[in-house]
Amino acid sequence: MNNLCADIGYNSLNKYGEELCGDHVEIIEQGENSMVIVLADGLGSGVKASILSTLTSKIISTMMAADMSIEECVSTIAQTLPVCSVRQVAYSTFTIIRIVGGIEAEIIQYDNPKVIFLRDGENIDYPSEALDIAGKRILKSKVYIKEGDILVALSDGVPHAGIGVTLNLGWKMENIIEYIKTFCHVGFTAKTLTTMLLDECYGLYGGKPGDDTTVCTVKIRRREPMNLVIGPPSNPADCNKMMSLFFSKEGKHIVCGGTTSNIAAEYLHKPLKTKLEYIDKDIPPIAEIEGVDLTTEGVITINRVLAYAQDYLKDNESYREWSSKRDGASLIARMLFEEATDINFFVGMAVNPAHQNPNLPINFSIKMRLVDQLAECLKKMGKKIKVSYF
Amino acid sequence: MKLTVCIGSSCHLKGSRQIVEQFQKLISENHLEDKVELVGTFCLGSCQTGVSVKIDETLFSVAPEDTKAFFEREVLPRL
Repeated sequence: MNNLCADIGYNSLNKYGEELCGDHVEIIEQGENSMVIVLADGLGSGVKASILSTLTSKIISTMMAADMSIEECVSTIAQTLPVCSVRQVAYSTFTIIRIVGGIEAEIIQYDNPKVIFLRDGENIDYPSEALDIAGKRILKSKVYIKEGDILVALSDGVPHAGIGVTLNLGWKMENIIEYIKTFCHVGFTAKTLTTMLLDECYGLYGGKPGDDTTVCTVKIRRREPMNLVIGPPSNPADCNKMMSLFFSKEGKHIVCGGTTSNIAAEYLHKPLKTKLEYIDKDIPPIAEIEGVDLTTEGVITINRVLAYAQDYLKDNESYREWSSKRDGASLIARMLFEEATDINFFVGMAVNPAHQNPNLPINFSIKMRLVDQLAECLKKMGKKIKVSYF
Repeated sequence: MKLTVCIGSSCHLKGSRQIVEQFQKLISENHLEDKVELVGTFCLGSCQTGVSVKIDETLFSVAPEDTKAFFEREVLPRL
């Protein structure tokens, strides 16, 4: 047990013309800092492959999470998978990465491209032992992990990228590793590294992927707590209680909302300095309070953060927007999506009389829904979320 | 003189950005940078009548299209 955790980001490109992806990634958490990640690539493409890979990854992850042996998992799959009527085989390749106690990673691979393991920006060639289970040759490795380590699992669509289009023999593993090495030290999240790799594959395929292409990046990082307060408490007498709980938490502090920032400034006995810079014309400027890491307006800013979060979970296209801008929403997005691993939300339930005006597109229920939806998105990003209401 | 514009949620939606931009323009056109300090503030508690603008401690309500008239009527005579 230590304070390391895994930041996981995965995504897929579908084979050109296919609606379903034949690759599937499944993650099961086992308590604080242990988890099982499975990337399966089903035989063929389309619906058949999708069923095979979904079944494979679900079965393996569930069984591994229940501490069953790899032998049992593989034989279960061999006996369960539906047999393809054309090819007379039931087949799905897979990669398993199992993080145990934030200390070691067990890597089990069957016929997928070898998992890339980077430490301090260098490729590590880890040893593996070959097992023969139900006639399948399975490679098993165990590596100790430390902060900053990056593991990248791929489906064969990645090394096949560009075959016959831009590259004669596809994207060689050594070149893929070189490509990742140029970015890995910058501090990008697992999701962003994944997006960059897939973008490159998409380009190599000339926009028409010849195979389902999946990348799953696992980045070992330190836990980073973050706290965000939005809205004054429903009972004004609870202001101090709410603020003292908020500021006693470890990690950075974000204050959202005009009235809320006034309460925070009062609690800290520090002046609230509002800026007048409109970096994004639709997002109100940010403010400064000594002792608070970021102070912003409330609903409008959070609404934008939510839009960024929803996009991050889809194709991550707005990354270009929020990754460098200095407006309130981009700053919150970077702190919550990239920096934080554990986020505490302090939500005040006071009804702002000004927001009850029917001409305004904001009201109390919208604010509550915004926070709920944002918390939901952040959970999907693999963050630990706690929401307290006041 | 301190000219304060509310940039809280309500006032933002009612156009405080346009008002800030017009004030910035008017101040530089009239060469009043030394005399008028333009600042922002979060909610002033008068959201229903926003956009809230304060000249020193006096509260006014300004609509974006009236900014120039307001500047001429209320700000300039007080300098």
